Amino acid sequence: MRFPAKFASYFRSGVRLLGIFVLLFGPALSSYGADSTVQVQLDAKKASPRAVESLTERGILRDYRFAWTSMAQALELSTLDPLEGPFAGQAKQLLRDMIVSQQRSGLSRQYVNQTHRLEAVFYAPEGDVMELHDTAEYELRISDGGKIIHDERVVMHFVVLMTPAADRWVIRQLQAVPES
Amino acid sequence: MRRLSLICAALCLVACSLAGMAQDLRVPASVTAGDGVTIPTTGSGKATFYLLGPGISRKGDVSLGEEIHLQAKDLRNAGDYLALVCSDSCHSGTFYVTAAKPASLTFLVHPSRVPVAQDDAVSGVTFTFDQFRNLVLTPATVTFQLTAGDKPLVSRPARTQNGVAWFRTASGKSAGLLQVVATLDDLSARRAVQQVASDPCNLRITGQRIPIGILVQTEPVHDCAGNVVSDGTIVTFSATEANGKSTVDAPIKQGVARAQIEAQGATVVSVASGVVMGNELHIGAKP
Repeated sequence: MRFPAKFASYFRSGVRLLGIFVLLFGPALSSYGADSTVQVQLDAKKASPRAVESLTERGILRDYRFAWTSMAQALELSTLDPLEGPFAGQAKQLLRDMIVSQQRSGLSRQYVNQTHRLEAVFYAPEGDVMELHDTAEYELRISDGGKIIHDERVVMHFVVLMTPAADRWVIRQLQAVPES
Repeated sequence: MRRLSLICAALCLVACSLAGMAQDLRVPASVTAGDGVTIPTTGSGKATFYLLGPGISRKGDVSLGEEIHLQAKDLRNAGDYLALVCSDSCHSGTFYVTAAKPASLTFLVHPSRVPVAQDDAVSGVTFTFDQFRNLVLTPATVTFQLTAGDKPLVSRPARTQNGVAWFRTASGKSAGLLQVVATLDDLSARRAVQQVASDPCNLRITGQRIPIGILVQTEPVHDCAGNVVSDGTIVTFSATEANGKSTVDAPIKQGVARAQIEAQGATVVSVASGVVMGNELHIGAKP
């Protein structure tokens, strides 16, 4: 059975339009996709001695999610650029060391389908530092030269120190701890 | 035939279990940051060993059946580590490196300048870190000491919880430097807060007529605790005469604020600083 010539022409135009759409909005869609794989929930009710304002809560959620998206990207591609902004101090230094080390060894890590349950446990009286505990769940894939050598679903616990910077909250300490 | 197949199955089972044991990896449960570790392996032949942890992603060749030595420098950062040994297949083990003993205190004190006698005006937060900048989560007692001049004001022990201890207290009674020290065993961190006079108290002015108007000045301005109010504090003089009102702002210099007001008629001069009002001064018209 053959399609009429007119139908084939509509089909070609449709494909062309789809191609243009993908070219125009593809990067935006993919960046949204990368970000949306990191799910973060925050419980700030137990934070003390200062209560966490709702605007601060939103800022922490946004910046923590962005930090993990950036970290995952940096460690997957073994590139330092994504670390600029969301990390500072010791956390940034460790991640830099990790990436430089990956570049040397040819290893890379992927954090897939991340979910984070964050709990604010300490918020300084003057609001200049916050300690959070994160129960993170993700699939950790280790690759050597592109070949996956380890793939496992893990539940990790992190102690996190965040401080406010000029326009965002940054992670200064990100330390995995055994389950208490 | 049936016996042969049973033997084959048994041999297969033995071979499979041997293959499974060929590269067993026994990692330690927990390691203190900066300590070296030895990981025993079983099996024989060459394999690739991977170590992934905070700040480290390395691989190297190992001989199965021999011990793998992880140096102290590889395990300086607290966190989770994944050890992998791969030959035909990969075997893994995870372990945690925990912080060593406290070696430094990060101490944040607010504010840097505070009026005297204010409730809950001075606060401090301290985090305990080991020599590798890992947050030490083991509880420890930090003592906060506040001293004004040679006079101790507050000494308060606080137990760290999740690596953090904090305090909040009132500022002292006298203007001057407030030393704030956090101490943990032989570690200490010192910060300074400048205590300044609070709002003026009993603001009083004197004045006299001069050829071009009225010269008014305050008596030395003190707060209610007797501290001289800081230079630069603004005092507002208001002059009301029959034909209107004028206002002059003057900063305190060496404890006194002065202003010259151009007023020819009978004038009432009042004074204020912040929310504090002073006395009124009645000055007659220019003769």
